[in-house]
Amino acid sequence: MFVHYLDLAWRSLKRTPLVSGLMVLAIAVGIGITMTSLSVYHMMSMDPIPEKSDTLFAVQLNTMDEGNQWWTDDDLPQQITYKDAMALYKADIPAKKVPMMRTGFTVHMNNDQVKPFLEGTRVTGRDFFSMFNVSFKYGDTWTQNQEDTIAPVVVISEQLNEKLFGGENSVGKEIYLDDNSYQIVGVLNNWDIHTKYYDLTNGAFNNVEAVYMPITQIPALELPAWGNTNGWKYEMIDSYQDRLNSETFWLQFWSQLDSPDEKIAYENFLTAYLTEQGGLGRYTREGVSFGLRDVNGWLEYNNVVSEDNRILVGLSFLFLIVCLANILGLLLGKFLRRAPEVGVRRALGASKRDVFKQHLVEVSLLGLFGGVIGIGIAQLGLWGVRESYSYYSALATMDLSMLFAAPVIAISACILAGMYPAWLVCKTQPAIYLKTQ
Amino acid sequence: MFEIKPIFNALLRSKAGALMLLIQVAITVAIVSNAAFIIQDRIEYLQQDTGYPEDEVFSFTVFTYSDDIDLIQKFEENETMLRNLPGVINAVAASEVPLSGSGSASSFQLDADPTDSKSVRAAYSGGDENFLDTLGVSVSEGRNFNPDEVIVSQDLSKIPTVIIVSRAFLEEMFPEGNGLGNTVYMGPAPLKIVGVVDKMMGPWLKDRAADNYIIFPFLQPNNFQKFIVRANAGEREAIMRQIEDIMLEDYNKRVITNVRGMDEAKANYNASDILMMRMLVVLIVVLVLVTALGIFGLTVFNISKRTKQIGTRRALGARKSAIIRYFLVENSIICTAGLVIGSIAALYLGKALLQEYSLPELNNWYIVATALFVLVISLLSVVMPANKAANISPSVATRSI
Amino acid sequence: MLTMTNISKVYQTEKVQTHALRDFNLQVNEGEFIAVTGPSGSGKTTFLNIAGMLENFTGGQYMLDDVDIGKLNDNARADLRNQKIGFIFQGFNLIPDLNLYENVEVPLRYRGIKAAERKRRIEDCLEKVGLGSRAKHLPQQLSGGQQQRVAIARALAGQPRFLLADEPTGNLDSLMARQVMELLEQINKEGATIVMVTHDPELARRAPRNIQVVDGKLADFTLYQSREAVLDTANDNKMKSAVEA
Repeated sequence: MFVHYLDLAWRSLKRTPLVSGLMVLAIAVGIGITMTSLSVYHMMSMDPIPEKSDTLFAVQLNTMDEGNQWWTDDDLPQQITYKDAMALYKADIPAKKVPMMRTGFTVHMNNDQVKPFLEGTRVTGRDFFSMFNVSFKYGDTWTQNQEDTIAPVVVISEQLNEKLFGGENSVGKEIYLDDNSYQIVGVLNNWDIHTKYYDLTNGAFNNVEAVYMPITQIPALELPAWGNTNGWKYEMIDSYQDRLNSETFWLQFWSQLDSPDEKIAYENFLTAYLTEQGGLGRYTREGVSFGLRDVNGWLEYNNVVSEDNRILVGLSFLFLIVCLANILGLLLGKFLRRAPEVGVRRALGASKRDVFKQHLVEVSLLGLFGGVIGIGIAQLGLWGVRESYSYYSALATMDLSMLFAAPVIAISACILAGMYPAWLVCKTQPAIYLKTQ
Repeated sequence: MFEIKPIFNALLRSKAGALMLLIQVAITVAIVSNAAFIIQDRIEYLQQDTGYPEDEVFSFTVFTYSDDIDLIQKFEENETMLRNLPGVINAVAASEVPLSGSGSASSFQLDADPTDSKSVRAAYSGGDENFLDTLGVSVSEGRNFNPDEVIVSQDLSKIPTVIIVSRAFLEEMFPEGNGLGNTVYMGPAPLKIVGVVDKMMGPWLKDRAADNYIIFPFLQPNNFQKFIVRANAGEREAIMRQIEDIMLEDYNKRVITNVRGMDEAKANYNASDILMMRMLVVLIVVLVLVTALGIFGLTVFNISKRTKQIGTRRALGARKSAIIRYFLVENSIICTAGLVIGSIAALYLGKALLQEYSLPELNNWYIVATALFVLVISLLSVVMPANKAANISPSVATRSI
Repeated sequence: MLTMTNISKVYQTEKVQTHALRDFNLQVNEGEFIAVTGPSGSGKTTFLNIAGMLENFTGGQYMLDDVDIGKLNDNARADLRNQKIGFIFQGFNLIPDLNLYENVEVPLRYRGIKAAERKRRIEDCLEKVGLGSRAKHLPQQLSGGQQQRVAIARALAGQPRFLLADEPTGNLDSLMARQVMELLEQINKEGATIVMVTHDPELARRAPRNIQVVDGKLADFTLYQSREAVLDTANDNKMKSAVEA
């Protein structure tokens, strides 16, 4: 019967090409606009590491004097000081945790073939890769010993390996960062995350770094932070050592807590740590305050989904409603005009449900066409977004779920709009249309 | 005359169709007025005067990776080299570049003791006496830095004692107007205001104190050094293209990046606003189109439903204009209701956006203008099919279907 | 097979109550051919619609094959209508988008009959009404008489035991009207019970049993002719139309 209804629907659409065309166009445009903004929204708000996003926690510590405010909702700075980062890193719990910071180097091979170029570099702990599920193509992360002895070792991205070594296994080879040579211990597989959730300070949608090196290089190389450094009081910083000892915030810190018990234990630990630090006279606060947010909480806390995008998604849905009202009005006319035919069908034994289903199949077909054309329009829209704002180029795409969602939303929306006209037409008394035509 | 009562009764009979049209018109008014307002707000923001000749200025970053040279001396040479390039007006090594989205800011106090002192936040940058001229701005009161006030040093303990400030900062710090020549403090360091620039915006146009900008006669040459160049507008692009080669030819253990015009940097910083604006424009245009098509479709449908009735009216002596008027009046009744509801919805939507997001309050004129605009569009969408309806032959009435 | 007891039907509008039927009593037996006559507005069509379960009635009882129709819901009625009742309308009511084959197919689809069986029956029925060769044509390509024959084929396709015809010849000239009447008589002979509303006294006279509806009531019924006489005329006419063709 379904196929038969489809056939009927197709004939019905063909009979009134103008009105059908208008309806398909309306739904296509509505879906196109909505999917454009929804796709960006979806990519922005999508869980970047769904398999363990609830076990990775960004650590925030309030080490400011009482009364100092921050621009976050809860007055906690997003980053922490160097001394706190190192203290937490050296602590016994949890098993996996990393401090980190973004810096950068001139990368070259100390020859004339490769023109020196700048690359962002992440300085972090050796567990970074296993914590954030980054896999290695060749080699592995540096050893604990290499980290402790500040060995000149690096892990590089697949893209950088491609650029410098043509994609071969480069483990053991050397590259130059500024004027020093470093040994490559690992090459990552392509790490494709649309949101750079582990460090949002440089823009949430920037690319991941191409070079990774041990956190112990920070004091050794006196690395500058390619990110924000924020202070809350005036401090005279004349040397790099001043910076390391200062109360300015410039490192990120993540801990992996696999169970609620571990989380409670860690919360207790942080409370004890902050109480101790307060006692040392570093700052004057009553009580302690810290933040432990998992990945999704962290993205939300940092307003990764832009305000503009939220407004656009809202407006797009209103727009979709307009399209639906449009379709509903046209369907009402189209279906009611067909009441005599429905009368005949009812006389020939069609139940109300049969008539209702027939009309819903017809509107679903409209929705399907609209949805498919809508995907095309959305692709056009997303192309426009990418052209207009290259920073969104990784975001302004439709993934499979969005491609699937477009016709589903279109069809459900059409069914919603078609429900009333279909109900109206199946409810009409058939007898009145049978006497004359 | 206008047959309002019979039209109204006919509408009541086909209420669902009329209701859909009403909803469309209402939502269209609500969305378009708010979106148009947001667009206007963004246009104003994007077109605001920054104080700089944005099409003449460009900047780039020099990343020196070798320790074998004296940066102070090298950059001094480079400044001279750049200034001597044909087409270049001035050039300077600077700690930060205005409008670039990247910079430093601090609180400045009225007293040396920070407690209870009045404090005003401002972004700041450092450079020598060429800084202002390179940016194409000039001191309107007071004076520029003297060369002997400029400190170019790696030693951070040498602190400048004079500053030039933007008028916005001066007026916020000294509302009584006695700012020039007065002293402000950055931490314990006293800084005497020697000059005022009427308009020079800081690095972040979206900052709440975007107009507060302070220039220090100070540069700590760094292996990550920014340069600003001002050239004749027509020659800027050509100079920008050569800049990497020129700089590397002079010394090659460095990387030249981020060569971009001030206008480009600003557009980059504001890319999300430009994007939002474009998307809203598309949204408005398509929305109005869809609504117009909806009205058009509904009118076409109504007419085909009433072909016989129209024929009968024509046979009974109705003029064409009366037929057209019938549909226009019918549409206007629905539209007016939609416009009224839409205007109220627009107010609420505006309030909601205001509360939820950092948008200014909706100007009510936008609602009025949008309502009139939608009314005109809706009447236009009716006229065409109605005109066709008026041409229905009276003979239709006498033929049975 | 059909028993109506004290059936009444009231149309309720805002201000007026119209009694379309009142105290309507009728018994129809298996195999009968009944012509219903009456002035316009007397309630003929209302009666037919209630008999065909297209309309609800306000009061009384309606039994069809021992089923109390008043107690059925809409879906059950649709099923019953589909299985037992065939309709023939004055305006033919063919669906303009569907060709003859598909028009005849409509009731069979609602009955859920398999495609092969449908095909057999449709071809059978179209053959019976003499339009077997035109299955792919659309209704508007046919004359009024041909359209009505398609409508009859459609009514027959479901093999109904009960055929309701509302002015089946109303839109046809007399020759075509006679052909349609002959077809109905033949169907009746093959076992279907027929109730036909008409205002044509000549056609009514050909039916073995006549009833008259006046003011929503069954006024009287007369047997105009014997069954044999009807059949004789029918045979005569068939000969005549064969010669004309």
